[in-house]
Amino acid sequence: MLEDIEALPDRIAARPHLLRLGALVSETVLLRVDEIEHYLRFDRGRLAAVIPGPSKKIPYRFAIITDREAIEKFWQPLPEPGFHDIFGLVKIGRAEILGDILALVKNLRYFKEVLALPREDRA
Amino acid sequence: MSIEPITGRYLNTTIGGRNQRIYFEEAGQGRPVLCLHTAGAHSAQWRHLMNDARITETHHLIAFDMPWHAKSLPPAGFQTEEYLLTTDSYIETVLAVIDGLGLEKPVLAGCSMGGRIALQLAALHPDRFSGFIAIEASDFQPAWYDIDWFHRPDAHGGEMGAALVSANISPHAPEVERWNTLWMFMASGPGVFRGDLSFYTKDDSLTGRLDRIDTAKTPVHFLVGAYDLTCTPEDARRTADAIPGATVTVMDTLGHFPMSEHPEGFRPYFVDALDRMA
Repeated sequence: MLEDIEALPDRIAARPHLLRLGALVSETVLLRVDEIEHYLRFDRGRLAAVIPGPSKKIPYRFAIITDREAIEKFWQPLPEPGFHDIFGLVKIGRAEILGDILALVKNLRYFKEVLALPREDRA
Repeated sequence: MSIEPITGRYLNTTIGGRNQRIYFEEAGQGRPVLCLHTAGAHSAQWRHLMNDARITETHHLIAFDMPWHAKSLPPAGFQTEEYLLTTDSYIETVLAVIDGLGLEKPVLAGCSMGGRIALQLAALHPDRFSGFIAIEASDFQPAWYDIDWFHRPDAHGGEMGAALVSANISPHAPEVERWNTLWMFMASGPGVFRGDLSFYTKDDSLTGRLDRIDTAKTPVHFLVGAYDLTCTPEDARRTADAIPGATVTVMDTLGHFPMSEHPEGFRPYFVDALDRMA
């Protein structure tokens, strides 16, 4: 899982359409999987830094909180119903989205596609 | 090069005392089947079935754009109005189309909000129809999102709406049809998806009417995709359980827009549903 997250900056950088979609995205997002936290610092569509947590000093715009089994199922090429989308995870009780959800929704396609990038390794 | 058999024309009619120019498409011959699109989209969701000769050789499929959607332009004066669809105006629209096109007891096939209004019509105007195919339909779905997200001055409601409803598309859907389906949401007029969702997520008047539906006179068959987060199989089953004689089929690899997102996967279920309308 750690490798999946650490690989995100290069994967995003290699996709011009994501850089275009995320041109106005400069936010920090907390991704917590079980007790493991990563702060994803986006800068104009690029993932400029992946900062391991935990930290009480890093402000973030919104947080996605899930568990390892759920995110592994989310990253399958053909996920089961409910595990196929981040809002699906929320609906089936396997994730929470906290904080400024509108910041997520305004750039929802961008964030959804970024978070789903690890699916490619499992295809 | 080819030209598809679908033809499109306009119906000029009066709804709620106002002139409406409604775009409709049709294909085929035989038993009329009136098809209703989902919220935030338009009649092109039915394009695959209308091009399916195996269906249109015995069925006359008709689909129209609701006012404010796609080629059915908003009524005069829209520029200062807040678009909010209601059960009454939706029912009046469907009945006006049936009258305007001279359809004799069509089967009504509606998806999502179209399925909701199909059930309302099954309860309130069953004599106008010969059966109901309720796709991704349920008694009531309160929003798991904020409908005001989709009409804001500081963001593109269509793109946000498309990104949200992508949660309802099955990962089994062919990529090209996934994106064709999402494009309709991206291209919807400002505030239209929100106005549709106002009807879909706030009007719970169907709940107390389900027991009026008489499936001995007009059959009701539910089709629901396992990947539909908005109207889940449990939602459809709950609704069908309140209608004696209603039947349900769960479509394991499909989502909330089955006729549009995965036409080949949906086709056998739709054919089976048509057979149940006999």
